[in-house]
Amino acid sequence: MLADAIAAERFRLLRDRSALFWGFCFAPLVGFMLSVGGDLFLRAIVKKPMPGVTVGLVDQMIKAVADGASTFSVLFLMIGAAAVLAGDYRWETWRLLTPRNTRQNLLLAKLVVVGEAIFWSLVLTAGLSAAAAVIGSAIGERALAFSAFDRNLFDVVGVLAVTWLEAMTLAALAACVGVLTRSTMGVVIVCLGVRFVQTVIASSLRLLEQGQPSWKLMAIPVYDADLLRATLLDATQLGAPAAHAGPALAVLVAWAALLTAGAVFLFRRQDLTKE
Amino acid sequence: MSIALEADRLTKTYGAVRALDDFSLSIPAGGVFGVLGPNGAGKSTLFRIALGLVRPTEGSARLFGAPAGDIAALRKVGAMIETPRYPPSLTARDVLKMLALESGAKNADIDGWLERVGIAQAADRSTSGYSVGMKQRLGLAAAFFTKPELVILDEPTSGMDPAGIQEIRALIVDLARREGVTVILASHQLDEVRRVCDRVAILSKGKVVAEGGVAELTAGEARLRITVASPIAPVLTVLGERGVADGADAVLADIRRGDAPELIRALVTAGVEIVEARWREADLEGVYLKTLEAAAPLSEGAA
Repeated sequence: MLADAIAAERFRLLRDRSALFWGFCFAPLVGFMLSVGGDLFLRAIVKKPMPGVTVGLVDQMIKAVADGASTFSVLFLMIGAAAVLAGDYRWETWRLLTPRNTRQNLLLAKLVVVGEAIFWSLVLTAGLSAAAAVIGSAIGERALAFSAFDRNLFDVVGVLAVTWLEAMTLAALAACVGVLTRSTMGVVIVCLGVRFVQTVIASSLRLLEQGQPSWKLMAIPVYDADLLRATLLDATQLGAPAAHAGPALAVLVAWAALLTAGAVFLFRRQDLTKE
Repeated sequence: MSIALEADRLTKTYGAVRALDDFSLSIPAGGVFGVLGPNGAGKSTLFRIALGLVRPTEGSARLFGAPAGDIAALRKVGAMIETPRYPPSLTARDVLKMLALESGAKNADIDGWLERVGIAQAADRSTSGYSVGMKQRLGLAAAFFTKPELVILDEPTSGMDPAGIQEIRALIVDLARREGVTVILASHQLDEVRRVCDRVAILSKGKVVAEGGVAELTAGEARLRITVASPIAPVLTVLGERGVADGADAVLADIRRGDAPELIRALVTAGVEIVEARWREADLEGVYLKTLEAAAPLSEGAA
């Protein structure tokens, strides 16, 4: 039953080129174009090769994927998520779907499909950043190395998983907001606002608490994701906060689970009189 | 006889508005059941509760004996509620494919149904460019294509041309008679209901105000139409509240058949020149309007 709903949602998203492009492909493509454009610009200004600079393929991928849930990227991810999670309110199409599967399955399927799309968006980000690194090294005639910091593909996978989980906390929030506001615009604005506020509060608390992870900091998904990525990449350099990686992971999972449960609870009780 | 849809003391309120008010109705499986009523009578609310789109404030609804919203029961149901809408990125074929996936109906005859409702030529066009009539046709295909046991249709022919209406009416009758599908049909087109439905319920202000077979409801409602060559005023005087003018030279008399000879004698005595006296059988429209008038003034009922 859930599998049926997931198949239907996946089919529908694959037919929605606009949501696919703007939601899940545009930000990675912009990152790629800015990177290559920057290299071309530098080469045009400097007009000579830049010897001694090494481009790390994996390092570039990690950096790009770590930024995959930045405020800029979240703007576009939430446009895509809103189309999936709140599109049926906008198009008044819940009446087509609701008699065919359980409310729980319908909403969970949407979240699963958004999760898949975010995953593939991050994979695209990694792939395009690798391509940008190769093209950039050729443009600038710089040396291309696998990694300048002894990192490997497992690091890329780890960072991708953490960034995906961070994005999924926002996707689960998007589900809640979508059900409550019945508006695609509401989803984008609220989720973008929440992402921005998280960044600001986390930065302020970091300064106030001198980098020590208090419960207040740990409650912020953006901080948890940063802590997890830093621990994955260099736990030694991170020092004492690395010991909080486990709780940080638990908090991220708890946020995603809590918001998902909240969205399902609200949707199951919602009257669809006029979507 | 098994019951397809049963509403037991259903009440649904939206703020101060009572869309359904202690509403009870049993719709038997088999045949075509018409649900009539002015706008706001509670037809769509009843359907939305049955389909699990809306929760009742009080009371309960059951589909094939299961609580409304039960997914196993809902999978025996096809529905088209109000004007159907579709995700604009999808073609008609995509819509049916998506719904087949959602229902787990992997062997649904998508092409056959697109052909049957007459939109096969436009099956690969985006539904955003469809006319209202084409959207209705796709809605009907979506309601029927998973081979449901019960189909709920809310105004299925609104926005269609006369030929389309006739075509869809024939389709509904065909499915009900040949394939044994139970159809619940809400329509403002009383002629359509009369032609298609076996039984009807008339709703007003969230309550059932009349229910029965179409023939049963219209029986006993016949009126004597008296055409005269003289002024109709004396006829109206004799009849009192039982008479109503029907044009300049005729009166409709609301009397029992046995009282006709006595009335004719009284009119002749009063000097009325009777040209013709003929019994006119009641139509569904007459019964509908009379029932609503009795239940509440039309102006209030349409609120």
